Amino acid sequence: MNAYTKYFVNKFLWYFVTLLIAVGLNFILPRLIEGNPVSIIVSQMTQGMTDSDTIKRVYETFMVEFGIDKPLGTQFLIYVKNLLMGDLGTSFGLYPKKVTDILASAVPWTVGLQLPAILVGWILGNVLGAVAAYKKGVFDKVIFPVALFINSIPFFTLAIIMLYVFGLTLKWFPLSGGYDFQMIPHLSFDFIFSVIRHHTLPFLSIVLVTIGGQAIGMREMSIYELNSDYVLYSKLLGIRDSKIAKYVFRNAMLPQITGLALSIGTMVGGSLICEIVFSYPGIGTWLFTAIRQLDYPLISGCTLLIAVSVLLANFTLEIIYGFIDPRIKAAQMEDH
Amino acid sequence: MSENILEVKGLKTYYKTRLRENVYAVDGVDFALEEGKTLGIAGESGCGKSTLALSLMGFYFPPLHYNSGSISINGTDIMKLTKEQLRTQVSGREIAYIPQAAMNALNPTMKIIRFIEDIMKEHRPELTKQQVWQMASERFETLNLSPKVLNSYPNELSGGMKQRTVIAISTILNPKVLIADEPTSALDVTSQKAVIKLLKNLLEKKFIKSLVFITHELPLLYHVTDEIVVMYAGEFVERGTAEQMIFDPVHPYTKKLMGSILVPEEGMKGQKLAAIPGAPPNLKKVPAGCRFADRCSFARDECREGKVEIKVVDGRLYRCLFDTETLKEWYENEQQQ
Repeated sequence: MNAYTKYFVNKFLWYFVTLLIAVGLNFILPRLIEGNPVSIIVSQMTQGMTDSDTIKRVYETFMVEFGIDKPLGTQFLIYVKNLLMGDLGTSFGLYPKKVTDILASAVPWTVGLQLPAILVGWILGNVLGAVAAYKKGVFDKVIFPVALFINSIPFFTLAIIMLYVFGLTLKWFPLSGGYDFQMIPHLSFDFIFSVIRHHTLPFLSIVLVTIGGQAIGMREMSIYELNSDYVLYSKLLGIRDSKIAKYVFRNAMLPQITGLALSIGTMVGGSLICEIVFSYPGIGTWLFTAIRQLDYPLISGCTLLIAVSVLLANFTLEIIYGFIDPRIKAAQMEDH
Repeated sequence: MSENILEVKGLKTYYKTRLRENVYAVDGVDFALEEGKTLGIAGESGCGKSTLALSLMGFYFPPLHYNSGSISINGTDIMKLTKEQLRTQVSGREIAYIPQAAMNALNPTMKIIRFIEDIMKEHRPELTKQQVWQMASERFETLNLSPKVLNSYPNELSGGMKQRTVIAISTILNPKVLIADEPTSALDVTSQKAVIKLLKNLLEKKFIKSLVFITHELPLLYHVTDEIVVMYAGEFVERGTAEQMIFDPVHPYTKKLMGSILVPEEGMKGQKLAAIPGAPPNLKKVPAGCRFADRCSFARDECREGKVEIKVVDGRLYRCLFDTETLKEWYENEQQQ
């Protein structure tokens, strides 16, 4: 095994340990929240009932059904056992729906909203930042402050302002949801059109924020690289400007790739606020609902999904980086 | 008599500051360099050495600007060429440059050979990758550098190795003139020696025809160069053979400069090293007369009136109002006090 493989095996083990800790915390933390999920459900179900004996029996049935009558340790063992078989349990709030089914229905919405938004925002932001650094002058003097301004608006403010202006006042776009409520998801032109109309505002809000952040970062990096000694040296050896620009932007891109990988990693749980503001049917909205209902299995399921994707993104990033930047590869080998 | 390879006449270049002031860092420089010769340029920090080195390349990047003067290589004035002609016909081919901070002169994410391939694509597009490899590895071997370097990334090389690699890359197209801007300043003594050997080797093997070596370390110039020029406040103040400049300088500034060098000989211990009081003048507002007058212990009133021209007396080139005998006398008197 060479030093490089060794490094990755070692890294993999660390990521695995991190995952184990995440599983433990995902289980414990929701259960530390004050309150009892069963009482919330029972009090809703038994509204108007006066017979305390019936209420008590309903309560106990649910306690046994959800398995929260057992001691915490036993619950954890059952949780881990089910987890190993790919079962994340049954949701409390949407009983008897399986958590895996809920997540499976939510992930496409979240990914469908975030992935294109992050990619478009990332690409546009980087191009704008690079051009601003290269062209300087008026272009830079306009782009930079605008990017800085957009990037400094808290995301929820931006989302609410967009919702207010384009949804409520101008009525160009619907206010909430992933598609029109009266529709049943199916493959038809009407449905797809409805999805796109609902998709636009949250999509744009994420794109705008991503562009701002990426453009600022790319501009800074490009300016730094443009002023580095190898640019002058290459010029004095007669290398054409377009090729030098390639050197510069390749090197300036490196930190930006980290940014992309991290935002794709955190994407699944990423835009919690965006999904909540636009009531978009993704993971974020489910997590929010689950926390309000103290739906332990659903909370754990959502957070586990987020943890796994973040770890996966980081790990992939580390492998990719070794290939594209010799300096980092060297550092990785030395680590060992 | 051999031809002048490099001929510089009245070269003036300046930096434009943010306050739109022009700082003439190179203020009317004339010199010629014959084939096979080495010229050393010495001076304090901030006297315009590095700016001169950059200016000689013919490319001007803001805030550095060109004012006037000519730079002729083999009789062709490169200042009359277009930027594109300069890039394709002169840069790297006729005149090459070794930057002051060679440590960072290489793109960190590129193997050395890829960079050489890119240079060749500009200047020798007919070569295939194999031929480039062949050529580069042969050249590296001739210069006692391992061809393995070609397949390395810059971060895998030591400082001295990086510097020698940069020199090998700069000279791969056999440029007529090589401008080395403080190539040894950031190195330890062993690596310095290796770099000097490499430069001499390049001259001997005729890979380069002449060398301009810029440094603030005068003793080094004595070992490398045939002639030395001392620069002060954007101008040349004295030019002579290495022998003359080190052991028998004429100009008061050169004398002071030599006096401030630590010589490891007996009796030096405990002796205070002479420093030149003050600092070079602010180039935003150069004095009307002799630029060194304010720091010169021999300065007279007439020194501050009117520009002092460079003159040739007794075969010596220097920029001072007084003749060599007078200066020598004053200098001896000062020594006795």
